[in-house]
Parts: sequence; C-alpha cells; structure tokens
Amino acid sequence: MTGGSAESVRSRKGEIESLERAFRALSGAGTAAELAARLHASLSSWFGSPVRIARSGTAGWELLAGEPGSMPPEKGGGLASAEGGRLCMVRATPDGSRYGVVVDRQEPGEEDLTALGLFVTVFESLLREVIARKHEKDLIFSLNHRVLQLNSLIDTGIEVASLECRAPHHVALERAASLTNAARGVLRVSHEGRTTEEVMFPVGSAASPGEAGGRTIRTSFAFGGGCYEFTLMDKESRQGPVSFDGTDQLLLDALARQVLASLENRYLLRQALEKQKIEQDLAVAASIQQRILPKALPRIEGYDIAGINIPSKSVGGDYFDCIPLAGNRLALVIADVAGKGVPAALLVSSFHAYLSAFLEAPVAPAALATRLNSVVARASTEDKFITAFFAVLDTSTGAMETVSAGHNPVLLRTARGELKELSLGGIPLGMLDMEFPYQSETLTLEKGDRLLLYTDGVTEAFDEQEKMYDSASPLRDFVAGHCPERAEVFVRDLIADVKRFAGAAPQNDDITALYLIRT
Amino acid sequence: MEQPFSLTSEVRDGTLIIATSGYVNNVGGEAIAAEFARHFAGGVRRVVINLGGSKVVNSVGMSFLIEIIERLQEAGGKLVFTNLDPAVEKMLSIMGLFQFAGKAPTVDGALGEFAASGGTP
Repeated sequence: MTGGSAESVRSRKGEIESLERAFRALSGAGTAAELAARLHASLSSWFGSPVRIARSGTAGWELLAGEPGSMPPEKGGGLASAEGGRLCMVRATPDGSRYGVVVDRQEPGEEDLTALGLFVTVFESLLREVIARKHEKDLIFSLNHRVLQLNSLIDTGIEVASLECRAPHHVALERAASLTNAARGVLRVSHEGRTTEEVMFPVGSAASPGEAGGRTIRTSFAFGGGCYEFTLMDKESRQGPVSFDGTDQLLLDALARQVLASLENRYLLRQALEKQKIEQDLAVAASIQQRILPKALPRIEGYDIAGINIPSKSVGGDYFDCIPLAGNRLALVIADVAGKGVPAALLVSSFHAYLSAFLEAPVAPAALATRLNSVVARASTEDKFITAFFAVLDTSTGAMETVSAGHNPVLLRTARGELKELSLGGIPLGMLDMEFPYQSETLTLEKGDRLLLYTDGVTEAFDEQEKMYDSASPLRDFVAGHCPERAEVFVRDLIADVKRFAGAAPQNDDITALYLIRT
Repeated sequence: MEQPFSLTSEVRDGTLIIATSGYVNNVGGEAIAAEFARHFAGGVRRVVINLGGSKVVNSVGMSFLIEIIERLQEAGGKLVFTNLDPAVEKMLSIMGLFQFAGKAPTVDGALGEFAASGGTP
C-alpha cells in the first residue's frame, strides 16, 4: 500500500467513525420533534452549513428545526438532490407525513449527497420507531380508557342504585361528562314544559350548547311526570375540540338509563314502605277493634246466646255486644260502620264508648238511637255512618223493644216456624246531625223463639263467580230451616255455610252474627 | 357538583407542590402542565400533585399528568399524587399512572417519603 493509499483509507475510516457517532446521536429521541432537532444538530455539524428540517402540513411546509429559509420542493423525491446551491431530500413516513431536509451548500459534491442520503435514511428509520412507539402508547392509553369507561359505568350503576346517593342524576351527569371528555354538561328537569331543576357541570359553566355542529349530545327520559334531559357539550382532545362519537352517545344513554332505574326503584321502595306503614296502622286498628268486642257473652238463664266476628284482611267496622242491664234486662247490639280501615275502626271505637256511657242509665232503644245518631254525626266525617240494631230484652218476661238504625233486618224465627223481619227504626247513625225520632217495635220472645242479628258480611259474601250469598242461598231459608239445639252450633253452621259458598274467594268484609234462643 | 378548575403551587424543600381544585380536563391539565414546566425549567425534579379538591378527571387531563410523569422520569425525577378521592384514585390506577408515579394520603406524607429516600426520588 502506498503512503497516499494509506492516508486515504485512514481518512475514510475517520469519516465512517464520524458518521457512526452522528447516527448514535440521533437515537434515543422520544418524539418526532426531538428527533428532528437532533438531525438538525448532526447535519449542521457535519456540513458546517445552515440546515432546515421541515414537515409537510395542511398549510405547506412547517419548519421543525433551523433558521427560516428556502423550504424543500413540493414534489421532492426520495433521493438526495442538489439544486440552486442547496441539497434537498424529502421522505414520506408511515403516518402519512412528509419530512424534508434542506442543506445550504454552494457546490455540493457526490459525497455530500451520499452523506445526506445516509443521514435521512437513518432519520427515517428512527422516525418509524418513534411513530410506532407513539402508536403503541396511544393504543394502550385508548384501551385503558375503554376499560376505565366500562369500569366507571359499572361503578356508577352501583353508586346511583344506592339509597345513600342523594342525587343520582347529578352523579350521572358528572360521570358522563368526564367519561366522554365533555368540557361541560347540563341536566334539566322539567315538568309540563317548566324547568324545575337545572344543574351545570362544572358549576357555573354556560348552560347553552356550543355553536359548532356535532359538539353536543343529548339524551332524556320521562319519570314521575317530569322530563330529565342530559346534554353534554364541547368534547375535548389534545388537538382541540372534536365531535362526540357513537360510543359517547352510548355511554350517555347507559348512564341515563341507570338513573331512570334508580329513580324507579326508589319510587317502588317508597310505595312499599308506605304500604307497610298502612298495614301496620291497619294491624293496630284491627287490634283496637278486636279489644272492644266481647271476649265472652253473658250466661242468662232461660236463654242461649252465641256470637262471632270474623274480621276481613282490611280492617272493617263491625261491632256486636250483649250487655246485662239493671232489672233483669239485656241489651243486644250489632253495628256496622260504612267503610273500612283506620277511620272505620276509630269510629266504631267511639261508638262503643258512647254506647257504654249511654247505657249507664236506663234508656229506651229509640232514645238511645237518637242520642247515638247525634254524637256519631258530630264524631264522623260526612261519608261515614253506622248502621245498627238495638234490642233491650226483659229476660224474665221475654218482652223486647227493638230499633233498627238502617241496619239489615234482624230475623226472628218463632217456635211455630214463622219468620219475621225486625226493621222498624230510622236512618243510619250519623247520617244526619239532628234529633232524629227513631221508632221502636215491641214483641215478646216465647220459648223456642230464635233471633239472628247479623251484618252484611254474611249476606253479601261473594263466591268466585262474584255471586252474592243472600241471592244464591237466601239467609232467610237457612234461618227458617236450621234450628239446632244450641246457639253456638247455629252460628258455627251459618259460618260454615257462608264459607262453603264463598269457596276460594277472598273475604272482603267483616262477618258478624249474634244468635239468641229462648230456651 | 364539581367546581371550575383552579390551582395553587408552592416549592417546599425543593419539591413543587401543586394543589388543584375542580374538573381536571383540558383546561385543568394545561394549567397543571404549565405550572410544572415553569418549575421544571428551573430545575425542580420532585413534584407532589394534591388532587384533594378534584373529584373528576377526564382522559385529556390525565394525558397531561402522564406527560409530566414521563418528563420527570427522563430527568430522573418523580411525581407523587396525594389526597386522592377513591374514584379518582381508581381512574389513575386503571390508566396505569401508578406504575411510574407514587401516591400518598397527604402532602406531608409525600414529602416524608421524599425525605426518607435521602432527598432523592
């Protein structure tokens, strides 16, 4: 090897090592901009001339590195070229961008073109890596965000379903805005076209939609006579405002449905609690009613008496009693308050109290009815009244005076087999607030005579075909044809007959009966 | 309901402490990133972000937080989040932020962690 050849080889080797160092300096960049800056530094150092790195954008070439100057040609090819005192090279990248390099050089040689070609090829390779890494990062971010959206959808469903969540619609608005990257949102609740609630997210943001089309999504549902409308506005991105997409609409719809389900569940729960409360009240009322009914009837020599009260599920207002009075007298009472529930139970309780008070002193049945009519009229509402039947029996003689205050006719079956109805009296108690003149009738119970007092729960018991007991199987016939020795047996058989007739049909009213036999 | 975004910051023993309030979205993320960049340029490499006043963070806001984490990582620094609302903590966890950033119950707790590591992250 000659001295000149050896020198040439050393020079080439030095150039190659210098290129390798320059290429190493390019590696490790995290972004395209950073890579362009490094290429700019390497080329500036290599050529010792002004260098410009540019990227082709919507508005033409955009300078990434270097001082402003001439830009690459619009239609530059993939090879380095020399023209007009400069070196140029343009490369397209996989993401659709074009990068151009310009080196100001008055008399570029072949070596310069080769060096620029090598630099740009290395740059392109590294740029592909940077772009691939960015795509990978974006993909991971996007997948994580999808997981976040699904997770948040589940969490929000649980949260709004909780009774501790005071305003599920507010929570949903907040979540919908954050999951869809909406800059703001508004929730409007309106009733009959009038806005009754308006909530902005974040607080104080403008409630009207942005002007740009496609920057708003909405969903709404109706509940409880109101319309709940969710609006999200101005979807954000790092590149500026963008349009909402189908997934955003799906998320908003799903969150709104969760709110609707929550509101419906709360409504149903409130109803169930109210029903439970009513049932508790009814249970109390039923307990009061049962306490005022006689636990046992008095034993009167020469008479056999039996009574029964079978309350229905809803508290009714049936009442009966058999009260010994002074002078061998006995008061027989049966009554039925119009209506059911707590009001009926309260009224029958008042009736019982007044009756007990009035019977303290001797009083004729008609006068008793008149006094009770007045007090019941004052104690009850307009739609509440009591039908009742009173009898005062002289147990030693069988003489009896009766008054019916609009009650079902009491049936008297005589020992001779005759059937009579006792219905003389007047209006139901409490129907008119006045001194109503009730009429009474008198009769004498003979040995073997039988008396049945009952409420409409007996005659108006329905079967499964909604036929009424008294129309299908008249009570009169039963009373006339059924004369067991004991009053208790009669009552038991009557109830059995009514129940047999009703079958599986529910008992809608109290069933009450009082039966007396003069033995 | 979430308030509009605002932040405060202080530097304590070389650690930048940013406390946010309100929706961390594009606006909030940009504000945090700008505050961070200002101090990062001045050499700050330890950062605490107190998100106690922020109950809602969207993914655009999170992308700014990720950038801060990356820049600190490249510079050998560290970020610790504090006072996290459970929902926000879950969001940051799902998005993978705690793979490269710490979390502490309070700002003092985060500063204590920095001090325990000998003043280095």
